[in-house]
Amino acid sequence: MITTLLIIHGLIGVALLGALTHQAVSAMRRPSKRTGSFVDRYTGVNQKTFTATVVALYVLGLILGGVIYPNYRLNVRIPFEEMRLGWAVGLFELKEHFAGIGLGVLPVYAYSWSSQTADRSNERTRRILTILLAAIVWWDFLIGHVLNNLRGLA
Amino acid sequence: MNWPQFSPVAFTVAFCCAYGLAFAMNSPLFIYYPLHGDFTWGTQVLKGVGPPMLWYGFLSDALIAGAVAAVCIPGRLANKWLINLVWVFPIATMAVCIFLLRRLFQ
Repeated sequence: MITTLLIIHGLIGVALLGALTHQAVSAMRRPSKRTGSFVDRYTGVNQKTFTATVVALYVLGLILGGVIYPNYRLNVRIPFEEMRLGWAVGLFELKEHFAGIGLGVLPVYAYSWSSQTADRSNERTRRILTILLAAIVWWDFLIGHVLNNLRGLA
Repeated sequence: MNWPQFSPVAFTVAFCCAYGLAFAMNSPLFIYYPLHGDFTWGTQVLKGVGPPMLWYGFLSDALIAGAVAAVCIPGRLANKWLINLVWVFPIATMAVCIFLLRRLFQ
């Protein structure tokens, strides 16, 4: 059961990575003459359309992570401590705290992309918040992957 | 999407401040003990019931603080003064977390 939840948690992470990276890269790219290249096609999307999906996937991923977390605490962290892998414990602690902070960023992220405010005045804030969320999700995904390679939950 | 009585900017600022403070002061709203599914309010750690988990308590602290601020602080005021700097708060809170956890990497 816990392995299934972990796989779903990972798949949600993949979808979230795709959506946020797409939105962040697109938001960073300045409008210029389109050439029809891969980069142009990748960045030439309606950025607002990702917002609701990102919020939903983030919340779902965090809830699933919260459900799995006790299993990690009992079956993974204690062996890490016994193996004196303090850095691995530290990496996971950062993952959980960053994920929690990301939850707090979601409302203002959604607000900055909402139709009333998605104008030029908030462009810098919107861009930074999107990049920040993307960085959090990339960190959490990679650290989760590394720690699962060190010692899985099952 | 309308935000009539909820200020997302105030929520994020209060959430991040509360999270950083709760973590720095080690004061979660409650502690969960996953071995037997026990809970305790506040910061007192029980012995003999397995390892404690504080993260849910930190999140609860921050969610309550964020919700209260989002409802109590007028959205127009928060947006006017903080919208351009709101991103500083989560980054600062992440820096606080890194600083507080530095001992694990030594």
